[in-house]
Amino acid sequence: MHIPDAFIPIGQAAVYWLIALVFIALALRWVRNEMDEEKLPLLAVLAAGVFALQAFNIPVTMGTSGHLVGGALVAIALGSPYAAIIVLTLVLIVQGVLFGDGGITTMGANIVNMGVIGGFVGYYAYQGLHGLTRNLYASAAGAAWLACLVPALVAAVELYVAGTFPLVPGIVSMGVYHALIGIIEGTITAVVLGLIAAARPDILDESVGIPSSGVPA
Amino acid sequence: MISRTAFLVGGVVLALLIGTAAVFFASGDPDGLDSTALITQGLKELTQPAAPDAELDEASLPGSFEYEAPFPDYTVEGASDLTNVALIVGGILLALIVVGGLAYGIKRAGQPGTP
Repeated sequence: MHIPDAFIPIGQAAVYWLIALVFIALALRWVRNEMDEEKLPLLAVLAAGVFALQAFNIPVTMGTSGHLVGGALVAIALGSPYAAIIVLTLVLIVQGVLFGDGGITTMGANIVNMGVIGGFVGYYAYQGLHGLTRNLYASAAGAAWLACLVPALVAAVELYVAGTFPLVPGIVSMGVYHALIGIIEGTITAVVLGLIAAARPDILDESVGIPSSGVPA
Repeated sequence: MISRTAFLVGGVVLALLIGTAAVFFASGDPDGLDSTALITQGLKELTQPAAPDAELDEASLPGSFEYEAPFPDYTVEGASDLTNVALIVGGILLALIVVGGLAYGIKRAGQPGTP
């Protein structure tokens, strides 16, 4: 759901950039004040993984494809939505500047959608679902599905305001496609968290709810 | 439990393998956003694929800013598979370095005098 430059007029794009900058500043402060230095390798590896997986489009029928966004994965693994904002912002900068994947003026909107909204929805949905089910995989999959769908619906509204999409058809189409793409998001998020939990359970944030010596619940 | 270094190296190698596989196996179908844009311009039905040559009418879109990325769609014109793999590998390593480097730099700057 990388919005290209042509889809949003510059004035509106600037507003999303301002919102994005506020959250980027908060995320940088989170790294400085709260992120445990032990988590640095995980943050960097997840950035590499998110970049790779975002290049891997998988067909979801109806002549459409999708790929992992990764906001939920990063936020859950590191235990903060701000981790997702850091990773998605920098990944989107590399993608936009070098590879033309997502626009430059619209990068703010993309950071808001996939980093900020994806990160917050993914993190808090995981906390809620894990509190109810105590199951890592089901909670991660459900949270990641939502963290794909909600930003897509927000993007549909942004593009309605921009004059690019009509409101209802835009929401229906973005919703249908991303409900399917969200299955990719949910599956990969659960699998990757399971892999990390098997390899180094202690490297995941305590909020994931895995005993540092034990098997994932 | 594997060592921290093994985790880092293993994770990066896995990312590079996924990125390399993406060059050969990723779907070329439009993503959810592009499909929606095609629908709104009458070039696609919700449940049907668009015509292979369907292209968005950019002139009718509201954004006026244009930027030409050096490697649009993770490739360059006439590139070999090897070049495309190199581009994705470069992107993955760049993502690793900028995120790791920024976080490391902030941590170092935030704790003057500590090792």
